Amino acid sequence: MERHVRRQFCGLVAAVLVAVALLSGRAFAHGGALRSSGESLAVPTWLFLATGGGVVGASFLLASLVTDRTLVRRIDEYGSTLALSRARVVDVFGSIVGVAGLAAVLWFGVRGPTDPFRNLAVLVVWVGWWAGYVMSVYLVGNTWPTLNPFRTLVELLPSLELAYPERLGSWPSVAGLIALIWVEVVSPLADDPQLLAQVVAAYTAVTVVGGAAFGPERWFSTVDPISRVFSYYGRVAPVERIDDGLSLRLPGMALTDSRGVDSISEVAFIVALLWVTTYDGLVTVPAWADATRGAVGAGLPVQAVYVGSLLGGFVLFFGAYVLASYASRRLAETYLRPARLARNFAPPLLAIAAGYHLAHFLGYFLSLLPPLTAALSDPFSPPSNPLTYVMPSWFGGLELTFVLVGHLVAIWVAHAAAYDVFPGRLQAIRSQYPFILVMVIYTMVSLWIVSEPSVTPPYL
Amino acid sequence: MTTDNHTDDGPASATDGSPSTNVDASADETTYDCNYCDRPFAREQYRTLHVGLDHHDECTDAEIEAFQDAYSEEGEEIRLFRLKAIGGLVLLYFGFLFTYSIVT
Repeated sequence: MERHVRRQFCGLVAAVLVAVALLSGRAFAHGGALRSSGESLAVPTWLFLATGGGVVGASFLLASLVTDRTLVRRIDEYGSTLALSRARVVDVFGSIVGVAGLAAVLWFGVRGPTDPFRNLAVLVVWVGWWAGYVMSVYLVGNTWPTLNPFRTLVELLPSLELAYPERLGSWPSVAGLIALIWVEVVSPLADDPQLLAQVVAAYTAVTVVGGAAFGPERWFSTVDPISRVFSYYGRVAPVERIDDGLSLRLPGMALTDSRGVDSISEVAFIVALLWVTTYDGLVTVPAWADATRGAVGAGLPVQAVYVGSLLGGFVLFFGAYVLASYASRRLAETYLRPARLARNFAPPLLAIAAGYHLAHFLGYFLSLLPPLTAALSDPFSPPSNPLTYVMPSWFGGLELTFVLVGHLVAIWVAHAAAYDVFPGRLQAIRSQYPFILVMVIYTMVSLWIVSEPSVTPPYL
Repeated sequence: MTTDNHTDDGPASATDGSPSTNVDASADETTYDCNYCDRPFAREQYRTLHVGLDHHDECTDAEIEAFQDAYSEEGEEIRLFRLKAIGGLVLLYFGFLFTYSIVT
Protein backbone atom coordinates (compact mmCIF):
# COMPACT_ATOMS: atom_id res chain seq x y z
CA MET A 1 0.00 0.00 0.00
CA GLU A 2 2.72 2.40 1.06
CA ARG A 3 4.80 1.54 -2.01
CA HIS A 4 1.80 1.75 -4.25
CA VAL A 5 1.02 5.24 -3.00
CA ARG A 6 4.62 6.35 -3.32
CA ARG A 7 4.87 5.01 -6.87
CA GLN A 8 1.70 6.83 -7.86
CA PHE A 9 2.98 10.02 -6.30
CA CYS A 10 6.33 9.81 -8.11
CA GLY A 11 4.47 9.13 -11.33
CA LEU A 12 2.30 12.17 -10.76
CA VAL A 13 5.26 14.44 -10.06
CA ALA A 14 7.13 13.18 -13.12
CA ALA A 15 4.07 13.62 -15.32
CA VAL A 16 3.55 17.21 -14.18
CA LEU A 17 7.21 18.05 -14.79
CA VAL A 18 7.15 16.50 -18.25
CA ALA A 19 3.95 18.32 -19.14
CA VAL A 20 5.28 21.66 -17.96
CA ALA A 21 8.56 21.15 -19.80
CA LEU A 22 6.96 19.98 -23.03
CA LEU A 23 4.13 22.43 -23.19
CA SER A 24 5.79 25.53 -21.94
CA GLY A 25 9.55 25.30 -22.28
CA ARG A 26 9.69 27.31 -25.43
CA ALA A 27 7.24 29.92 -24.29
CA PHE A 28 9.19 30.49 -21.07
CA ALA A 29 12.37 31.10 -23.00
CA HIS A 30 10.78 33.49 -25.43
CA GLY A 31 8.76 35.32 -22.81
CA GLY A 32 11.92 35.79 -20.77
CA ALA A 33 13.80 37.12 -23.77
CA LEU A 34 11.03 39.61 -24.44
CA ARG A 35 11.15 41.06 -21.00
CA SER A 36 14.87 41.66 -20.91
CA SER A 37 15.66 42.73 -24.45
CA GLY A 38 12.43 44.26 -25.64
CA GLU A 39 12.62 42.17 -28.80
CA SER A 40 9.44 40.73 -30.21
CA LEU A 41 8.44 37.20 -29.29
CA ALA A 42 9.63 34.38 -31.50
CA VAL A 43 6.10 33.03 -31.14
CA PRO A 44 3.05 35.28 -31.45
CA THR A 45 1.60 36.49 -28.17
CA TRP A 46 -1.68 34.61 -28.67
CA LEU A 47 0.19 31.32 -28.96
CA PHE A 48 2.31 32.09 -25.93
CA LEU A 49 -0.81 32.86 -23.88
CA ALA A 50 -2.65 29.84 -25.24
CA THR A 51 0.29 27.69 -24.17
CA GLY A 52 0.04 29.07 -20.64
CA GLY A 53 -3.69 28.30 -20.60
CA GLY A 54 -2.92 24.88 -22.06
CA VAL A 55 -0.49 24.10 -19.26
CA VAL A 56 -3.18 24.87 -16.68
CA GLY A 57 -5.72 22.75 -18.56
CA ALA A 58 -3.26 19.88 -18.94
CA SER A 59 -2.35 20.05 -15.26
CA PHE A 60 -6.01 19.78 -14.37
CA LEU A 61 -6.35 16.69 -16.56
CA LEU A 62 -3.25 15.19 -14.92
CA ALA A 63 -4.55 15.98 -11.43
CA SER A 64 -7.90 14.42 -12.33
CA LEU A 65 -6.10 11.15 -13.11
CA VAL A 66 -5.28 10.85 -9.41
CA THR A 67 -8.51 9.33 -8.14
CA ASP A 68 -7.20 7.46 -5.14
CA ARG A 69 -8.76 9.09 -2.09
CA THR A 70 -6.04 7.72 0.17
CA LEU A 71 -3.27 9.29 -1.88
CA VAL A 72 -5.07 12.63 -2.12
CA ARG A 73 -5.60 12.70 1.63
CA ARG A 74 -2.09 11.56 2.39
CA ILE A 75 -0.58 14.40 0.38
CA ASP A 76 -3.06 16.77 1.98
CA GLU A 77 -2.25 15.72 5.53
CA TYR A 78 1.49 15.19 5.09
CA GLY A 79 3.36 17.14 7.75
CA SER A 80 3.91 17.29 11.46
CA THR A 81 3.62 19.53 14.49
CA LEU A 82 6.48 20.98 16.44
CA ALA A 83 5.66 21.42 20.10
CA LEU A 84 6.87 24.84 21.07
CA SER A 85 5.70 26.73 24.07
CA ARG A 86 4.83 30.34 23.42
CA ALA A 87 7.65 32.44 24.69
CA ARG A 88 6.46 35.79 25.92
CA VAL A 89 9.86 37.29 25.17
CA VAL A 90 9.32 36.59 21.45
CA ASP A 91 5.96 38.34 21.49
CA VAL A 92 7.35 41.35 23.32
CA PHE A 93 10.39 41.53 21.05
CA GLY A 94 8.16 41.25 17.96
CA SER A 95 5.90 44.05 19.20
CA ILE A 96 8.90 46.29 19.89
CA VAL A 97 10.36 45.64 16.41
CA GLY A 98 6.96 46.37 14.85
CA VAL A 99 6.39 49.62 16.71
CA ALA A 100 10.00 50.74 16.14
CA GLY A 101 9.54 50.05 12.42
CA LEU A 102 6.33 52.09 12.32
CA ALA A 103 7.97 54.95 14.22
CA ALA A 104 10.98 54.87 11.88
CA VAL A 105 8.72 54.98 8.81
CA LEU A 106 6.85 58.01 10.20
CA TRP A 107 10.02 59.83 11.33
CA PHE A 108 12.13 59.23 8.21
CA GLY A 109 9.15 59.85 5.98
CA VAL A 110 8.92 63.39 7.34
CA ARG A 111 12.56 64.14 8.11
CA GLY A 112 14.56 61.80 5.87
CA PRO A 113 16.11 62.56 2.46
CA THR A 114 13.59 63.24 -0.31
CA ASP A 115 15.26 60.89 -2.79
CA PRO A 116 13.17 57.69 -2.54
CA PHE A 117 16.22 55.50 -3.19
CA ARG A 118 17.87 56.95 -0.08
CA ASN A 119 14.84 57.33 2.17
CA LEU A 120 14.51 54.66 4.82
CA ALA A 121 10.71 55.03 5.08
CA VAL A 122 10.12 54.43 1.36
CA LEU A 123 12.60 51.56 1.21
CA VAL A 124 11.32 49.85 4.33
CA VAL A 125 7.65 50.09 3.32
CA TRP A 126 7.93 49.09 -0.33
CA VAL A 127 11.05 46.96 -0.59
CA GLY A 128 11.36 45.59 2.92
CA TRP A 129 7.72 45.19 3.84
CA TRP A 130 5.38 45.03 0.85
CA ALA A 131 7.83 43.05 -1.33
CA GLY A 132 10.20 41.14 0.97
CA TYR A 133 8.15 40.67 4.11
CA VAL A 134 4.98 39.64 2.24
CA MET A 135 7.04 36.98 0.44
CA SER A 136 8.21 35.62 3.77
CA VAL A 137 4.57 35.40 4.88
CA TYR A 138 3.45 33.10 2.05
CA LEU A 139 6.74 31.25 1.63
CA VAL A 140 7.49 30.61 5.31
CA GLY A 141 4.71 31.62 7.70
CA ASN A 142 2.60 34.48 8.95
CA THR A 143 4.55 36.42 11.56
CA TRP A 144 2.39 39.55 11.29
CA PRO A 145 0.27 38.86 14.41
CA THR A 146 3.53 39.07 16.41
CA LEU A 147 4.86 42.17 14.67
CA ASN A 148 1.64 44.10 13.95
CA PRO A 149 2.45 47.56 15.40
CA PHE A 150 -1.14 48.76 15.01
CA ARG A 151 -2.39 45.97 17.22
CA THR A 152 0.29 46.71 19.82
CA LEU A 153 -0.89 50.33 19.93
CA VAL A 154 -4.56 49.33 20.15
CA GLU A 155 -3.87 46.91 22.98
CA LEU A 156 -2.25 49.70 24.98
CA LEU A 157 -5.54 51.60 24.89
CA PRO A 158 -8.78 50.78 26.72
CA SER A 159 -11.30 49.13 24.42
CA LEU A 160 -14.90 50.34 24.09
CA GLU A 161 -15.97 46.88 22.81
CA LEU A 162 -18.81 48.31 20.72
CA ALA A 163 -20.96 45.69 19.00
CA TYR A 164 -19.75 45.18 15.44
CA PRO A 165 -22.62 45.33 12.92
CA GLU A 166 -22.64 41.68 11.83
CA ARG A 167 -24.52 42.32 8.61
CA LEU A 168 -21.47 44.17 7.27
CA GLY A 169 -19.46 40.93 7.41
CA SER A 170 -15.99 41.45 6.00
CA TRP A 171 -17.12 43.92 3.36
CA PRO A 172 -15.36 46.86 5.10
CA SER A 173 -12.06 45.04 4.64
CA VAL A 174 -12.83 44.47 0.95
CA ALA A 175 -13.48 48.19 0.55
CA GLY A 176 -10.36 48.98 2.58
CA LEU A 177 -8.15 46.76 0.44
CA ILE A 178 -9.44 48.25 -2.80
CA ALA A 179 -9.05 51.78 -1.38
CA LEU A 180 -5.46 51.08 -0.31
CA ILE A 181 -4.54 49.83 -3.78
CA TRP A 182 -6.24 52.83 -5.34
CA VAL A 183 -4.13 55.17 -3.19
CA GLU A 184 -1.03 53.14 -4.02
CA VAL A 185 -1.64 53.23 -7.76
CA VAL A 186 -2.80 56.81 -8.26
CA SER A 187 -0.53 58.68 -5.84
CA PRO A 188 3.29 58.85 -5.88
CA LEU A 189 3.49 56.88 -2.64
CA ALA A 190 6.74 55.21 -3.65
CA ASP A 191 8.38 58.48 -4.70
CA ASP A 192 7.28 60.96 -2.06
CA PRO A 193 8.38 60.05 1.50
CA GLN A 194 6.30 62.82 3.09
CA LEU A 195 3.12 61.65 1.40
CA LEU A 196 3.93 58.08 2.41
CA ALA A 197 4.33 59.16 6.05
CA GLN A 198 0.99 60.98 5.88
CA VAL A 199 -0.80 57.93 4.48
CA VAL A 200 0.80 55.64 7.09
CA ALA A 201 -0.17 58.11 9.83
CA ALA A 202 -3.75 58.25 8.54
CA TYR A 203 -3.91 54.45 8.39
CA THR A 204 -2.55 54.24 11.93
CA ALA A 205 -5.15 56.75 13.17
CA VAL A 206 -8.07 54.92 11.54
CA THR A 207 -6.85 51.55 12.78
CA VAL A 208 -6.21 52.69 16.35
CA VAL A 209 -9.61 54.39 16.61
CA GLY A 210 -11.42 51.45 15.00
CA GLY A 211 -9.52 48.89 17.03
CA ALA A 212 -10.23 50.72 20.28
CA ALA A 213 -13.90 51.06 19.38
CA PHE A 214 -14.64 47.46 18.38
CA GLY A 215 -11.90 45.68 20.30
CA PRO A 216 -8.62 44.46 18.78
CA GLU A 217 -9.79 40.86 18.26
CA ARG A 218 -12.75 41.89 16.15
CA TRP A 219 -11.02 44.70 14.28
CA PHE A 220 -7.92 42.80 13.20
CA SER A 221 -9.77 39.62 12.26
CA THR A 222 -12.65 41.21 10.37
CA VAL A 223 -12.01 44.80 9.33
CA ASP A 224 -8.28 45.60 9.06
CA PRO A 225 -7.36 44.82 5.43
CA ILE A 226 -3.61 44.47 6.09
CA SER A 227 -4.00 41.88 8.86
CA ARG A 228 -6.45 39.98 6.71
CA VAL A 229 -4.13 39.97 3.71
CA PHE A 230 -1.39 38.51 5.89
CA SER A 231 -3.62 35.94 7.52
CA TYR A 232 -4.77 34.70 4.09
CA TYR A 233 -1.28 34.76 2.57
CA GLY A 234 -0.08 32.89 5.65
CA ARG A 235 -2.42 30.03 4.72
CA VAL A 236 -0.29 29.37 1.63
CA ALA A 237 2.83 28.94 3.78
CA PRO A 238 4.13 25.60 5.07
CA VAL A 239 4.46 26.82 8.67
CA GLU A 240 1.51 27.89 10.78
CA ARG A 241 1.49 28.93 14.40
CA ILE A 242 -1.03 26.97 16.43
CA ASP A 243 -1.85 27.08 20.12
CA ASP A 244 0.87 24.75 21.33
CA GLY A 245 3.55 25.07 18.68
CA LEU A 246 4.06 25.10 14.95
CA SER A 247 2.16 23.09 12.38
CA LEU A 248 4.15 22.06 9.29
CA ARG A 249 2.43 21.07 6.04
CA LEU A 250 3.26 20.97 2.37
CA PRO A 251 3.04 24.50 0.89
CA GLY A 252 -0.53 25.39 -0.02
CA MET A 253 -2.12 22.32 1.58
CA ALA A 254 -3.67 24.36 4.40
CA LEU A 255 -5.82 25.88 1.65
CA THR A 256 -7.78 22.63 1.27
CA ASP A 257 -10.06 23.55 4.15
CA SER A 258 -12.26 26.60 4.07
CA ARG A 259 -11.36 27.68 7.61
CA GLY A 260 -11.48 31.47 7.81
CA VAL A 261 -13.78 31.71 4.80
CA ASP A 262 -17.15 31.70 6.49
CA SER A 263 -19.16 34.10 4.40
CA ILE A 264 -19.43 35.37 0.87
CA SER A 265 -17.77 38.64 1.95
CA GLU A 266 -14.64 36.65 2.76
CA VAL A 267 -14.76 35.05 -0.66
CA ALA A 268 -14.99 38.59 -2.04
CA PHE A 269 -11.90 39.54 -0.05
CA ILE A 270 -9.87 36.69 -1.56
CA VAL A 271 -11.05 37.59 -5.06
CA ALA A 272 -10.25 41.25 -4.33
CA LEU A 273 -6.73 40.27 -3.22
CA LEU A 274 -6.25 38.44 -6.49
CA TRP A 275 -7.67 41.33 -8.46
CA VAL A 276 -5.66 44.13 -6.80
CA THR A 277 -2.42 42.16 -7.33
CA THR A 278 -3.37 41.91 -11.00
CA TYR A 279 -4.44 45.55 -11.24
CA ASP A 280 -1.14 46.69 -9.78
CA GLY A 281 0.59 45.03 -12.75
CA LEU A 282 -2.10 45.84 -15.29
CA VAL A 283 -1.67 49.62 -15.01
CA THR A 284 1.99 49.32 -16.07
CA VAL A 285 1.47 47.54 -19.40
CA PRO A 286 1.68 49.67 -22.57
CA ALA A 287 -1.78 48.64 -23.78
CA TRP A 288 -3.25 50.02 -20.56
CA ALA A 289 -1.46 53.33 -21.12
CA ASP A 290 -2.89 53.52 -24.66
CA ALA A 291 -6.41 52.68 -23.49
CA THR A 292 -6.23 55.27 -20.70
CA ARG A 293 -4.99 57.96 -23.07
CA GLY A 294 -7.84 57.09 -25.40
CA ALA A 295 -10.45 57.26 -22.64
CA VAL A 296 -9.10 60.53 -21.25
CA GLY A 297 -8.84 61.93 -24.80
CA ALA A 298 -12.54 61.13 -25.22
CA GLY A 299 -13.28 63.40 -22.26
CA LEU A 300 -13.37 61.08 -19.26
CA PRO A 301 -11.75 62.41 -16.06
CA VAL A 302 -8.49 60.61 -15.20
CA GLN A 303 -9.66 59.55 -11.73
CA ALA A 304 -12.89 58.16 -13.17
CA VAL A 305 -10.84 55.95 -15.50
CA TYR A 306 -8.69 54.60 -12.67
CA VAL A 307 -11.48 54.17 -10.11
CA GLY A 308 -13.87 52.81 -12.72
CA SER A 309 -11.41 50.21 -13.97
CA LEU A 310 -10.40 49.20 -10.44
CA LEU A 311 -14.02 48.66 -9.35
CA GLY A 312 -15.16 47.31 -12.71
CA GLY A 313 -12.35 44.75 -12.76
CA PHE A 314 -13.24 43.60 -9.27
CA VAL A 315 -16.90 43.19 -10.19
CA LEU A 316 -15.82 41.24 -13.29
CA PHE A 317 -13.52 38.91 -11.32
CA PHE A 318 -16.04 38.37 -8.54
CA GLY A 319 -18.90 37.93 -11.00
CA ALA A 320 -16.96 35.33 -12.97
CA TYR A 321 -16.17 33.46 -9.77
CA VAL A 322 -19.77 33.49 -8.51
CA LEU A 323 -20.98 32.39 -11.93
CA ALA A 324 -18.49 29.51 -11.82
CA SER A 325 -19.93 28.48 -8.43
CA TYR A 326 -23.42 28.29 -9.91
CA ALA A 327 -22.15 26.29 -12.88
CA SER A 328 -20.22 24.01 -10.53
CA ARG A 329 -23.39 23.27 -8.57
CA ARG A 330 -25.18 22.17 -11.74
CA LEU A 331 -22.32 20.11 -13.10
CA ALA A 332 -21.66 18.31 -9.82
CA GLU A 333 -25.37 17.49 -9.27
CA THR A 334 -25.25 18.68 -5.70
CA TYR A 335 -27.66 20.42 -3.39
CA LEU A 336 -24.91 22.38 -1.73
CA ARG A 337 -25.54 26.07 -2.23
CA PRO A 338 -23.36 27.96 -4.71
CA ALA A 339 -22.21 30.21 -1.84
CA ARG A 340 -20.98 27.16 0.00
CA LEU A 341 -19.05 25.96 -3.07
CA ALA A 342 -17.65 29.46 -3.54
CA ARG A 343 -16.32 29.34 0.02
CA ASN A 344 -14.77 25.92 -0.41
CA PHE A 345 -12.98 26.72 -3.62
CA ALA A 346 -11.88 30.28 -2.82
CA PRO A 347 -8.75 29.46 -0.73
CA PRO A 348 -6.90 27.85 -3.70
CA LEU A 349 -7.03 31.27 -5.37
CA LEU A 350 -4.61 32.46 -2.69
CA ALA A 351 -1.88 30.24 -4.17
CA ILE A 352 -2.42 32.01 -7.49
CA ALA A 353 -2.25 35.42 -5.82
CA ALA A 354 0.97 34.43 -4.03
CA GLY A 355 2.55 33.14 -7.26
CA TYR A 356 1.64 36.36 -8.98
CA HIS A 357 2.97 38.48 -6.12
CA LEU A 358 6.27 36.58 -6.25
CA ALA A 359 6.51 37.05 -10.02
CA HIS A 360 5.79 40.72 -9.64
CA PHE A 361 7.96 41.58 -6.64
CA LEU A 362 10.93 39.19 -6.40
CA GLY A 363 12.93 41.07 -9.04
CA TYR A 364 11.93 44.39 -7.52
CA PHE A 365 13.00 43.22 -4.07
CA LEU A 366 16.36 41.81 -5.18
CA SER A 367 17.29 44.79 -7.34
CA LEU A 368 16.50 47.27 -4.56
CA LEU A 369 18.07 45.24 -1.76
CA PRO A 370 21.36 47.24 -1.80
CA PRO A 371 19.68 50.65 -1.23
CA LEU A 372 17.58 49.08 1.54
CA THR A 373 20.58 47.64 3.37
CA ALA A 374 22.51 50.88 2.84
CA ALA A 375 19.65 52.92 4.32
CA LEU A 376 19.24 50.47 7.21
CA SER A 377 22.92 50.57 8.12
CA ASP A 378 23.11 54.35 7.98
CA PRO A 379 19.58 55.81 7.99
CA PHE A 380 20.63 59.41 8.65
CA SER A 381 23.11 59.78 5.82
CA PRO A 382 22.67 56.95 3.30
CA PRO A 383 25.07 56.89 0.30
CA SER A 384 24.10 59.55 -2.20
CA ASN A 385 23.97 57.27 -5.21
CA PRO A 386 23.12 53.76 -4.01
CA LEU A 387 23.75 50.93 -6.41
CA THR A 388 20.87 48.74 -7.59
CA TYR A 389 21.15 45.30 -9.12
CA VAL A 390 20.00 44.60 -12.66
CA MET A 391 18.27 41.27 -13.05
CA PRO A 392 19.79 38.85 -15.60
CA SER A 393 17.88 38.04 -18.78
CA TRP A 394 16.67 34.63 -17.63
CA PHE A 395 14.85 36.24 -14.74
CA GLY A 396 11.78 36.94 -16.87
CA GLY A 397 11.44 33.19 -17.40
CA LEU A 398 11.59 32.66 -13.66
CA GLU A 399 8.73 35.13 -13.17
CA LEU A 400 6.55 33.25 -15.65
CA THR A 401 7.38 30.04 -13.81
CA PHE A 402 6.13 31.55 -10.54
CA VAL A 403 2.81 32.47 -12.15
CA LEU A 404 2.40 28.92 -13.46
CA VAL A 405 3.51 27.23 -10.24
CA GLY A 406 0.91 29.26 -8.33
CA HIS A 407 -1.77 27.92 -10.68
CA LEU A 408 -0.52 24.35 -10.45
CA VAL A 409 -0.65 24.44 -6.65
CA ALA A 410 -4.15 25.95 -6.85
CA ILE A 411 -5.35 23.16 -9.15
CA TRP A 412 -4.08 20.44 -6.85
CA VAL A 413 -5.50 22.14 -3.76
CA ALA A 414 -8.89 22.55 -5.42
CA HIS A 415 -8.79 18.87 -6.46
CA ALA A 416 -8.13 17.82 -2.85
CA ALA A 417 -10.81 20.19 -1.52
CA ALA A 418 -13.36 18.80 -4.01
CA TYR A 419 -12.61 15.27 -2.80
CA ASP A 420 -13.41 16.41 0.71
CA VAL A 421 -16.70 18.00 -0.28
CA PHE A 422 -18.21 15.47 -2.68
CA PRO A 423 -18.81 11.78 -2.07
CA GLY A 424 -18.49 10.90 -5.77
CA ARG A 425 -15.02 11.17 -7.24
CA LEU A 426 -16.20 11.99 -10.75
CA GLN A 427 -18.63 14.42 -9.16
CA ALA A 428 -15.63 16.13 -7.54
CA ILE A 429 -13.81 16.34 -10.87
CA ARG A 430 -16.85 17.71 -12.69
CA SER A 431 -17.34 20.35 -10.00
CA GLN A 432 -13.98 21.82 -10.98
CA TYR A 433 -14.66 22.40 -14.71
CA PRO A 434 -16.03 25.96 -14.32
CA PHE A 435 -13.34 26.97 -11.85
CA ILE A 436 -10.63 25.62 -14.17
CA LEU A 437 -12.07 27.64 -17.03
CA VAL A 438 -11.89 30.77 -14.89
CA MET A 439 -8.31 29.86 -13.94
CA VAL A 440 -7.27 29.32 -17.56
CA ILE A 441 -8.53 32.78 -18.46
CA TYR A 442 -6.88 34.22 -15.40
CA THR A 443 -3.51 32.59 -16.23
CA MET A 444 -3.61 34.06 -19.69
CA VAL A 445 -4.30 37.53 -18.31
CA SER A 446 -1.49 37.36 -15.74
CA LEU A 447 1.03 35.84 -18.17
CA TRP A 448 0.22 38.63 -20.58
CA ILE A 449 0.84 41.26 -17.88
CA VAL A 450 4.10 39.66 -16.73
CA SER A 451 5.42 39.27 -20.28
CA GLU A 452 4.66 42.85 -21.33
CA PRO A 453 7.30 45.55 -20.81
CA SER A 454 6.54 47.80 -17.86
CA VAL A 455 5.83 51.52 -18.39
CA THR A 456 4.76 54.31 -16.03
CA PRO A 457 0.96 54.65 -15.93
CA PRO A 458 -0.11 57.88 -17.68
CA TYR A 459 -1.54 61.03 -16.00
CA LEU A 460 -0.32 60.19 -12.49
CA MET B 1 -9.14 -1.71 -1.23
CA THR B 2 -8.03 1.75 -2.04
CA THR B 3 -9.97 3.72 0.49
CA ASP B 4 -9.90 4.25 4.20
CA ASN B 5 -12.41 5.61 6.58
CA HIS B 6 -13.02 9.27 6.14
CA THR B 7 -13.28 10.77 9.58
CA ASP B 8 -12.56 14.32 8.56
CA ASP B 9 -14.71 16.64 10.58
CA GLY B 10 -12.86 19.79 9.58
CA PRO B 11 -14.62 22.72 8.00
CA ALA B 12 -14.19 21.31 4.49
CA SER B 13 -16.33 18.31 5.28
CA ALA B 14 -19.80 18.80 3.98
CA THR B 15 -21.38 17.95 7.29
CA ASP B 16 -20.33 21.09 9.12
CA GLY B 17 -22.60 23.97 9.94
CA SER B 18 -26.32 23.63 9.95
CA PRO B 19 -27.44 21.75 6.87
CA SER B 20 -30.12 24.32 6.13
CA THR B 21 -27.61 27.09 5.43
CA ASN B 22 -25.39 24.95 3.23
CA VAL B 23 -27.89 23.03 1.16
CA ASP B 24 -30.88 24.02 -0.79
CA ALA B 25 -33.19 21.57 -2.55
CA SER B 26 -36.52 22.69 -3.94
CA ALA B 27 -39.54 20.83 -2.60
CA ASP B 28 -40.57 19.17 -5.87
CA GLU B 29 -37.24 17.43 -6.39
CA THR B 30 -36.66 13.84 -5.32
CA THR B 31 -33.68 13.81 -3.03
CA TYR B 32 -31.86 10.98 -1.31
CA ASP B 33 -31.30 12.25 2.21
CA CYS B 34 -28.61 10.95 4.50
CA ASN B 35 -30.08 9.19 7.55
CA TYR B 36 -27.32 10.52 9.78
CA CYS B 37 -26.97 14.19 8.82
CA ASP B 38 -29.99 14.88 6.55
CA ARG B 39 -27.78 16.15 3.74
CA PRO B 40 -29.72 15.66 0.49
CA PHE B 41 -28.16 14.01 -2.58
CA ALA B 42 -29.25 13.91 -6.19
CA ARG B 43 -28.43 10.23 -6.64
CA GLU B 44 -28.68 7.20 -4.43
CA GLN B 45 -25.08 6.35 -5.34
CA TYR B 46 -23.86 9.63 -3.88
CA ARG B 47 -25.70 9.00 -0.66
CA THR B 48 -24.26 5.50 -0.37
CA LEU B 49 -20.76 6.85 -0.93
CA HIS B 50 -21.34 9.69 1.50
CA VAL B 51 -22.51 7.36 4.27
CA GLY B 52 -19.43 5.17 3.83
CA LEU B 53 -17.05 8.12 3.77
CA ASP B 54 -18.45 10.54 6.31
CA HIS B 55 -20.32 8.20 8.70
CA HIS B 56 -17.96 5.26 8.54
CA ASP B 57 -17.95 4.80 12.30
CA GLU B 58 -21.68 4.86 12.91
CA CYS B 59 -23.18 3.14 9.88
CA THR B 60 -24.32 -0.49 9.60
CA ASP B 61 -22.42 -3.37 7.99
CA ALA B 62 -24.93 -3.45 5.15
CA GLU B 63 -24.23 0.20 4.45
CA ILE B 64 -20.48 -0.47 4.45
CA GLU B 65 -21.01 -3.26 1.96
CA ALA B 66 -23.18 -1.03 -0.22
CA PHE B 67 -20.49 1.63 -0.01
CA GLN B 68 -17.80 -0.79 -1.13
CA ASP B 69 -19.90 -1.87 -4.08
CA ALA B 70 -20.61 1.75 -5.03
CA TYR B 71 -16.94 2.61 -4.70
CA SER B 72 -15.82 -0.14 -7.07
CA GLU B 73 -18.68 0.61 -9.45
CA GLU B 74 -17.44 4.17 -9.48
CA GLY B 75 -14.00 2.80 -10.33
CA GLU B 76 -15.31 1.60 -13.66
CA GLU B 77 -16.72 4.99 -14.59
CA ILE B 78 -13.38 6.46 -13.56
CA ARG B 79 -11.48 4.15 -15.89
CA LEU B 80 -13.53 5.49 -18.77
CA PHE B 81 -12.96 9.03 -17.60
CA ARG B 82 -9.21 8.43 -17.43
CA LEU B 83 -9.16 7.28 -21.03
CA LYS B 84 -10.95 10.48 -22.02
CA ALA B 85 -8.57 12.60 -19.94
CA ILE B 86 -5.52 10.95 -21.50
CA GLY B 87 -7.11 11.44 -24.91
CA GLY B 88 -7.55 15.11 -24.03
CA LEU B 89 -3.90 15.38 -23.00
CA VAL B 90 -2.74 13.77 -26.23
CA LEU B 91 -4.94 16.10 -28.27
CA LEU B 92 -3.67 19.10 -26.34
CA TYR B 93 -0.05 18.03 -26.77
CA PHE B 94 -0.25 17.36 -30.50
CA GLY B 95 -2.48 20.37 -31.02
CA PHE B 96 0.23 22.58 -29.59
CA LEU B 97 2.99 20.65 -31.36
CA PHE B 98 1.38 21.20 -34.76
CA THR B 99 0.43 24.79 -34.01
CA TYR B 100 4.03 25.53 -33.06
CA SER B 101 5.40 23.81 -36.14
CA ILE B 102 3.06 25.79 -38.40
CA VAL B 103 3.45 29.17 -36.71
CA THR B 104 7.19 29.20 -36.08
